[in-house]
Amino acid sequence: MEPIKTDLVVLGAGPGGYAAAFYAADLGKKVILVDQNPRLGGVCLNEGCIPSKALLHATKVLGEAKTFAEHGIVFGEPKIDVSKLRAWKDSVLQRLGTGVASLAKMRQVTVMTGRGYFESSDLLRVETPEGQKFLTYDKAIIAVGSKPAMPRAFDLGNPRVMTSREALELPDIPADLLVIGGGYIGMELGTVYAALGSRVTVVEALDNILSGADPDLARPVVNYAKKNFRELRVKTRVLDMSTAGKQIRVVMDVNGERMEELYDRVLVSVGRVPNGEDIGLENTRVIRDEKGFIKVNERMETTDPKLLAIGDIAGGVLLAHKAHKEARVAVESLCGEASVFKDVVIPAVVFTEPELAWCGLTEEEARQKGIKVEVAKFPWAASGRAMTFDKTEGMTKLIIDPESERILGAGIVGHGAGELIAEGVLAVEMGATAHDLAACIHPHPTLSETFMEAAEVFYGYATHAYSRRKRHAEA
Amino acid sequence: MDIKLPNLGEGADSGVVVSILVNVGEEIAEGQNIIELETGKAVASIPSSAAGKVESIRVKVGDKITPGTVILTVSGGGTQAAAPAVPAPAAKPRPAARPQAPAVEEPVEVEEASETEEEPTPTVESTEQYFTPPASPTIRKLARELGIDLRRVKGSQHGGRIVMEDLRRYIQGLIRAAEKARTAPPAAAPATGGAAVAPVSVDFAQWGPITRVPFSPLRQVLSRRLVESVNTLPQVTQFDEADITSLLALRQEHAAAYEAKGARLTLTGFAIVALVATLKKYPIFNSSLDEVTQEIVYKNYYHIGIAVDTEAGLLVPVIRDADRKSLLELSLALVEVANKARDRKLAPADMQGGTCTISNQGPLGGAHFTPIVNKPECAILGLGRGVLKPVVQKDGSLAPRTLLPLALSYDHRLVDGAQAARFITDLRVFLENFPPDLVKI
Repeated sequence: MEPIKTDLVVLGAGPGGYAAAFYAADLGKKVILVDQNPRLGGVCLNEGCIPSKALLHATKVLGEAKTFAEHGIVFGEPKIDVSKLRAWKDSVLQRLGTGVASLAKMRQVTVMTGRGYFESSDLLRVETPEGQKFLTYDKAIIAVGSKPAMPRAFDLGNPRVMTSREALELPDIPADLLVIGGGYIGMELGTVYAALGSRVTVVEALDNILSGADPDLARPVVNYAKKNFRELRVKTRVLDMSTAGKQIRVVMDVNGERMEELYDRVLVSVGRVPNGEDIGLENTRVIRDEKGFIKVNERMETTDPKLLAIGDIAGGVLLAHKAHKEARVAVESLCGEASVFKDVVIPAVVFTEPELAWCGLTEEEARQKGIKVEVAKFPWAASGRAMTFDKTEGMTKLIIDPESERILGAGIVGHGAGELIAEGVLAVEMGATAHDLAACIHPHPTLSETFMEAAEVFYGYATHAYSRRKRHAEA
Repeated sequence: MDIKLPNLGEGADSGVVVSILVNVGEEIAEGQNIIELETGKAVASIPSSAAGKVESIRVKVGDKITPGTVILTVSGGGTQAAAPAVPAPAAKPRPAARPQAPAVEEPVEVEEASETEEEPTPTVESTEQYFTPPASPTIRKLARELGIDLRRVKGSQHGGRIVMEDLRRYIQGLIRAAEKARTAPPAAAPATGGAAVAPVSVDFAQWGPITRVPFSPLRQVLSRRLVESVNTLPQVTQFDEADITSLLALRQEHAAAYEAKGARLTLTGFAIVALVATLKKYPIFNSSLDEVTQEIVYKNYYHIGIAVDTEAGLLVPVIRDADRKSLLELSLALVEVANKARDRKLAPADMQGGTCTISNQGPLGGAHFTPIVNKPECAILGLGRGVLKPVVQKDGSLAPRTLLPLALSYDHRLVDGAQAARFITDLRVFLENFPPDLVKI
């Protein structure tokens, strides 16, 4: 069969892959986008970011309705129709998937549905419903993503043991849910299920949850979980799981003590593994690291001159927005531009209750590396807007180089932190100083003012926070 | 009373004073920062252990101090400082550009050599080693395209932030410097070398397909050092050929004994012995020129650098005290450094302090070549491949002999041609008459 010739093949239509395909098409390349799922968007759209945020929004509605009883508006006990909620969530995914497909069509990107397999560095075989097709290309971008890790010991073949993928399908609302892994996926899904009525227990092997975030930022999230979950257990390892009728028997080591319990469902959220198997990488010159991630340089080029890799499969932090930026770098580098993925600020957002977000240098990282920084914090208890939201548990903090006054990092915990952190990213990327932030008018009354006031705290003249310490700003 | 430098904690036994935050006569509070100290890892502020009036400051910027060193003398302790003093802007720390890097790896700051008033100078921030200079992504990308290192561009905005205007001024400075270098007579060129022309990115793709791969950090360091060496040293290469027929016989005779000890008897090993012996006879070849003090520095130690070809590029590990090692010890050391180099396990210290270097291309083939002096050393010895050639004997007959190409590049500022000729001749004679005693184990 005569292979189809094109400029660029993108394997995997997640947020990295489709962004790369669209950008290359916008720059005049002939592009074929290959994905085994007829609905484009990858994990992010189908079984990750988007469905989880849809469900988290539902939990927010429940939570706000409940807490507002104290302030004079009392709703009845909520009735939860799981199938209707699931249908709404699915409709969001459907709408977005269709949107991505129509954007592909407008750009004349050819979408091919089927598994892709590299026969060699320059030949991709695709198993489409209409039979095998072969593609040749000038370059190919591998963007096959990752999947939830499922340690063999936990894999009972019992659907009650779920990964995030199954949990987001919302099969039912279990009475007792065990979440293994206190990272962001476990905490977000724990929040969803707890709000829908499950008794949630989160276990974490390390001695704190949400490791990576500064402890003072994680604290409100921990407080919420302590109040709304059945339990948060750190220093806990799951030793064994087995099917016990309609439940799962779980044996764990809780800080040295053995404990045996029954759960209706178990969510395993212990990390993600790359999808590098069964795509014929062994027939190319691509090299993978010991964990299976493809090795790339800062131009997103692999060790095979025909192939680039972006997103989760290329390692680093496994986040859609990192993949999106890598897509830009990959396409620009194959177009001969001097783009690199280097010194780029990658914001992290945890959509828990409250939300937690940070970017750039963290206080903890500065401490570990011995970098001299000054930390300016503005508590939301002093924000008028936070009070009108009835969400005063929050904080905005800036990590500042005391010498140049440059903003090196920002962290926020509180309502809408995920939206607010974008200003921190802009400040760090632009090399802005605390004075730059303090000098910009921030609209009142909004939570964005907390950024300005945190910068003012650094100089000691924040309007809504009194500080003894004064410092002269070099204007 | 005296305020002393406290213990610095794990791994740090000394530090360099980068700034002094107090003045004589000033009232200071306990816990107030008095100096900033650069230890290997970071710049740290050192607080005062007592309150009082500063009588005298006993250290100065640039001093390397250890715990226990007296920093200040204060009097009249117990005085309550009214408010923490704001460090005077004049005392702004200016750490020397990357002081932890060995001098030879410093980039050639060519543009600094010309003396125009608004010449671009590097700005150095305290966090410089951790972060890129403050500039927007657009400016950073433009600088990358133009091949400009933003660390050399002075930012005009608050916090040293670099904007388009700064980049433009910097480029104009480069153009002026290049212009000046073109028009000025060569003799007037500054001692640190000619002015750089701003690199130009050529679009090779317009003539055919291309592949771009990054110039690895190792190669960037290497190229800076090589450029610095050729730009700053007048180098001459002296050639000769050594008859190593009997040396090879000697090697044959002892090879098995060395192998039994886990070593390989190689020409490089023999060359180290011969080189050290010759360096001892002509110490100027084991010296360096101190360009700052204009002194010749003779070294009473013999640390020989060995050029090793690795996948990542050329590395030059140093074998220390080669004069005090037997040929067996040298042969073992050679195996060790070559392995370390190839496994990329060499620490920076393993590649510093060499006094002379050997580059043996023999195993790869090739005859004479012109090695570049590994600055600040004085000389480098290149070895080619020993080749069997017909040689006219004293009696006029022809005999097949193995001849080893020798190439000695040297710093002509330190050494004249006559000395080089004597040096290479002695070296050749040593190799041709290698003392068997030195080979025996």
